[in-house]
Amino acid sequence: MNMHQQQKSGNDPFVEFIDVGVTKLSPAGTNRLILDGISFTARQGEITGIIGASGSGKSTLIRLCNRLDNPSVGTIELNGQNIATIDPLLLRRKIALVLQKPFMFHGTLLENLQRPFMFRRMAPPSAGSLEIARVLDLVQLPAEMLDREARSLSGGEQQRVNLARALINHPEVLLLDEPTSALDHPSTARLASTLNNICQNEHLAIIVVTHDLYLAEHIVNHLIYLEEGQIMEQGVGTQMLAMPQTTAFSNFLAKPEREEKSSL
Amino acid sequence: MKNPHIIPLDVIQLVYAYALILLSLALARLQHIGHEKQLFWSSIRMLVQLIAVGYLLHLVFAINSPLPVVLMLLAMAGFSLQVAGSRIKKRMPDFYRVVGSSIIIGCGGVTVYFSLLVVGFSPWFDPRYLIPLAGMIFGNAMNGASLAAERLSSEMHERREEIECALSLGATSRQSAEEAIRNAYSAALRPTINTMAATGIVALPGMMTGQILSGTEPIIAVRYQIAILCAITGAVAVTSFLIVQQGYRRFFTDAHQLKSE
Repeated sequence: MNMHQQQKSGNDPFVEFIDVGVTKLSPAGTNRLILDGISFTARQGEITGIIGASGSGKSTLIRLCNRLDNPSVGTIELNGQNIATIDPLLLRRKIALVLQKPFMFHGTLLENLQRPFMFRRMAPPSAGSLEIARVLDLVQLPAEMLDREARSLSGGEQQRVNLARALINHPEVLLLDEPTSALDHPSTARLASTLNNICQNEHLAIIVVTHDLYLAEHIVNHLIYLEEGQIMEQGVGTQMLAMPQTTAFSNFLAKPEREEKSSL
Repeated sequence: MKNPHIIPLDVIQLVYAYALILLSLALARLQHIGHEKQLFWSSIRMLVQLIAVGYLLHLVFAINSPLPVVLMLLAMAGFSLQVAGSRIKKRMPDFYRVVGSSIIIGCGGVTVYFSLLVVGFSPWFDPRYLIPLAGMIFGNAMNGASLAAERLSSEMHERREEIECALSLGATSRQSAEEAIRNAYSAALRPTINTMAATGIVALPGMMTGQILSGTEPIIAVRYQIAILCAITGAVAVTSFLIVQQGYRRFFTDAHQLKSE
């Protein structure tokens, strides 16, 4: 068993936030607290959901994981190592981030999947390679689509390409920022099942930021409720949704727009 | 230093020339464009500025020493930078440092090369050659510099999603901004390329016209014009290249993170 397999088979914490805080300078020149005292652990083989209203700091939190932003205080560890000490280019291959809006580069679906290799100045895999077949299989996209212009694909298909492109680097952690925000219900349900499969088959730690209760109910193991930059409640997803322990989370669940989402 | 080939213009002749400005003012008023005041004051500004420069050049030519020539070149570089900055609404981080150093290296380098190797005048600071040549090089490179800096800023702003997507897939800052850099550089070079293609067909360039008016053989004037267009292209290319290469880095941190706007 090589070191990589040993890491993946262990049951140790994989991504750990330790008292993380972010302050940003507002246009008025005052310091604004975006995140405060965030501590949680995302384990491999589990899906961690970060839920909260718009502006609660969810997206900032996920951007810290692969160092698109830096925390002002606290540390984030990847398998025990502070991520600030890891080369950011290497880190972003280990911790892949799927941004909220699926951005497609000019070119075909295949060329989009080859991009990460070009960034690493490596020979890109061909259409018939095992590498391409693996990611297409994971996100359930047919190989016949490889020659299609990526920008001509539907929103749901683009989101899958986005996911496949992130998985081609063999990440250890997968981060998703509001992956269902532009999807209809059938696409959301398909994506949920895809994420479940990926988590099980690839044995990844997945952190998904969402305000969509469908995802929280159906795929999340560990749920974290964020409000105004602070964790108000966290625990097992299904238990939290069935029996919220805090007024803040109860109020969040009781909001009309949440009920609409949960009825999806 | 009177040139027997040229007809000197006296004040009366200039007054006749200004009659054309009055005609322009009348037409502007007739069309109700509302810019009459601006037109009038611009014509006065042009008059005052050119008379001042004329006397300054007269003085620099009379002193015939390197120091005033060098000071004048530095003033040109400073004005180029100030004008380039004033034209841009949204400036890139460290704008003056990036554009200033690029203008000094790009235009300064090309001016030195052109003076020593192409024209080869002596002494090296001969103001009759160095000042007009540097003026043309700095003036044109300033346009390229403005375009490069402005386009780079707007591209970096508009392509934020694309850049962050590339960064999140493991791209370096340079790789993620490649399209923005390419478009900014292309935008900076395009007017110079168009000018070269149109020169001699659409319009006769100012320097060549001036030389012909002052009695220079048209063939010699054409050679000077060709050489100066090459110098301008070189200065625009080097200055804009330095701006985009230095400029894109200012949008990123050392950890390949796109700075917040």
